Amino acid sequence: MDMNEIKEIFFQECEEQLAELESGLLRLNDGDTDPETVNAVFRAVHSIKGGAGAFGLDDLVSFAHVFETTLDCVRSNKLEASQDLLKVMLRSADVLADLTAASRDGGTVESSRTSGLVAELEAYAKGQPLPTSAAAPAAAAPEPVKTEAPAPAAEAPEPTDDSGFQPVPFSFDALDGEDDLAVDSGRSVFTVRFKPRSDLYAKGNEAVLILRELAKLGDLQVRCETDDLPSLDMLDPEGAYFSWLIRVETESNEEAIRHVFEFVEWDSTVEITAGADEEAFAAPAASGEDQPMAAVPFDLSLLEDQPAVPAEAAAPPAPAPAAGEPALAPANLPLAAKAIAEAEKKETVVPAVPAAPQTIRVDLDRVDRLINLVGELVINQAMLAQSVVENESGGSSAVNLGLEELQQLTREIQDSVMAIRAQPVKPVFQRMGRIVREIADMTGKQVRLVTEGENTEVDKTVIDKIAEPLTHMIRNAVDHGLETPEKRTELGKNAEGVLRLSAKHRSGRIVIEIADDGAGINRERVKAKAIENGLIAPDANLSDEDIDNLIFHPGFSTADKISDISGRGVGMDVVKRSIQALGGRISITSKPGKGSVFTMSLPLTLAVLDGMVVTVANQTLVVPLTAIVETLQPEKADIHSFGPSQRLIAIRDTFCPLVDVGHILNFRSDLANPIDGVALLVESEGGGQRALMVDAIQGQRQVVIKSLEANYTNVPGIAAATILGDGRVALILDVDAVVTASRGQPLSPDMMLAATG
Amino acid sequence: MSSDGTSVKVLKLPEVLDLNAASRLHEQVLAHKGEDIDIDASDVTRVGAQCIQVLLAAAKSWRAEDQNFKVQPASDVFIKTLQLLGISDEAMLPKEMLK
Repeated sequence: MDMNEIKEIFFQECEEQLAELESGLLRLNDGDTDPETVNAVFRAVHSIKGGAGAFGLDDLVSFAHVFETTLDCVRSNKLEASQDLLKVMLRSADVLADLTAASRDGGTVESSRTSGLVAELEAYAKGQPLPTSAAAPAAAAPEPVKTEAPAPAAEAPEPTDDSGFQPVPFSFDALDGEDDLAVDSGRSVFTVRFKPRSDLYAKGNEAVLILRELAKLGDLQVRCETDDLPSLDMLDPEGAYFSWLIRVETESNEEAIRHVFEFVEWDSTVEITAGADEEAFAAPAASGEDQPMAAVPFDLSLLEDQPAVPAEAAAPPAPAPAAGEPALAPANLPLAAKAIAEAEKKETVVPAVPAAPQTIRVDLDRVDRLINLVGELVINQAMLAQSVVENESGGSSAVNLGLEELQQLTREIQDSVMAIRAQPVKPVFQRMGRIVREIADMTGKQVRLVTEGENTEVDKTVIDKIAEPLTHMIRNAVDHGLETPEKRTELGKNAEGVLRLSAKHRSGRIVIEIADDGAGINRERVKAKAIENGLIAPDANLSDEDIDNLIFHPGFSTADKISDISGRGVGMDVVKRSIQALGGRISITSKPGKGSVFTMSLPLTLAVLDGMVVTVANQTLVVPLTAIVETLQPEKADIHSFGPSQRLIAIRDTFCPLVDVGHILNFRSDLANPIDGVALLVESEGGGQRALMVDAIQGQRQVVIKSLEANYTNVPGIAAATILGDGRVALILDVDAVVTASRGQPLSPDMMLAATG
Repeated sequence: MSSDGTSVKVLKLPEVLDLNAASRLHEQVLAHKGEDIDIDASDVTRVGAQCIQVLLAAAKSWRAEDQNFKVQPASDVFIKTLQLLGISDEAMLPKEMLK
């Protein structure tokens, strides 16, 4: 594996971390106060920083560092996660994402964006909003600072957690590379308690190396606590039993010491106290064994087989007397030790951190090839089955049995292969969060994005293609849907608008909803505009639903002024078309003053389809099974003529327009006799039902979708094609297009009545 | 100790005693339970905390059963690592290293 591959993995992981970061921040924004959430956010930034450091991505590292520092203040409760701060953090997350992308794909991020945020973050970290910041440093410096690793298993009570804890201001001077204030007041003494967990070793870290790093900072006195060591036969050779009490005499400051533990702090308990903790050292080891302190001022050169961790520029020593106020620490230490020991005991019983689900990363090309092959296999299997049926003379049941089994297997293979490509919509939804923030900023609106069902899975091909229409709809919703904060307050609504983005599975399709609580569609204006644009006749009598649907018409825009966001020449018609191209449907419901809901329903996959094979005018067509509600044999008594060319069919007390598919598709010029055919009751977009009339039903089967656009050209009324078992091409019906075409030229209100009646 | 030389088994440690070696070392040491043993750490060029844990646990167990367990001879790296880790169990360090 060469460096580039490793780097690529790093960037992939970055993406995951960024997603984690953003969702964590959003949870905090929603009032989540769980410390684990803060920790998760912190960890995400921390991991990015760590990896970036390894690859020498300095921009990324420096920004991540500032971000991390501020997060650390939140984590240690020094800083309240206020709404303002979270806004800054969310923007920082965006910049971090941009920096990551820039590091991967080349290019740069405007330095003004980063520097502005860096300044803001630093201001927060310095506690600028608090007036007491100037007085704090001197008083607070000698207090113990604990870095509590947040592994779930370690959530045993920690009595020392809250007691004696006070804010410790961070020195940013070191960050800026300035060594002002570097008054060499001699060496400071710190006491470090270091207790690794077995995870530390499992991740390839090594306590020996950590201590060696530490020894580079200054003189160490190390005492190893071996009391936890069980007898040999009880010992888990890969467990962690040792803990260390280390006295460090160094010219560096606490930050530098902390830095040594930077990469292991999640897998260990590290406690750094300023000042010597003579009592703890003096206390005899409980085991009664003779454990004198081992001073370690020896030559480390022999152990030098690894390059040093790039140490941060030595920061000025803490402005406190070196061995000041050890009073607090000794009192706490035995308690802490006990707590740690308890936590450790629990850990041995409870299996450590739940193992991450095992995953591998596979090139998408390979999966695609596999899917293609399986598609061919399915076709081949169908062809084989067909030829066996055709040549069947006497019929060997063994062959039929084998074929049936084969069919089941291919079906199973296909499902499994499809499952490989299924992915949660989460990443797409998360990208929307950013778009909402950007547009909210641009328009001066306050928007909160609420997402639901992010884990709903859908085929990767669909995911890739919904991002764009979704982006556009979100933009639209914020720009047109939601009102300005002033107006909202005037109307008695919360100044902050809510945009709800949800995904769910419904009858073999994925349904994505975008709901805003804005003003809803201004029907008067839409109608006026439509008349102005000549889309409808001035005297047209339209239902509310029809007016709402006008916004999907090409060339329709209600925005009087072309703003930066909408009016880019891409209207809702494009959204509708791209969704239809995916085999999806889009609809809108709007309540004036309450908001609008856009609903799109998409197929779960673009590769296979369960279809009903039908005959229309001697042509074989496939109707997507998901569209069909029921099939029925029309009776003469149920058919009613309606107008010159329309017919209705009575189904259980309701009337439903009868659509002659052959006529619509121009397979035949005259209308077929409904009595000779079969009616397929389909659910069309907008809720109405239609009865599609076909000549006969051949059967139901799974077909592999072959794009007609890619191989031929787009044909109205036809969604795609497939290859049947006998090798012939069959067209897949675009139900919605056929239904729309059946409405004919005018959007007749009478038709709507019949459809909904 | 080494006075009753003949019955003392010698376990020669490999060069690298990192985390991967810990389980194997554990097995090896366990296999010698109940008999005096000398650990030859003269080839060790790298040793991790987990292997030290195994050895120290062994030293304690042996001591509890009044058997002899000592590390001798040991490489410089081995000794220095022990010092770095703050471990001064007499069984773990060759005699001449103890003051």
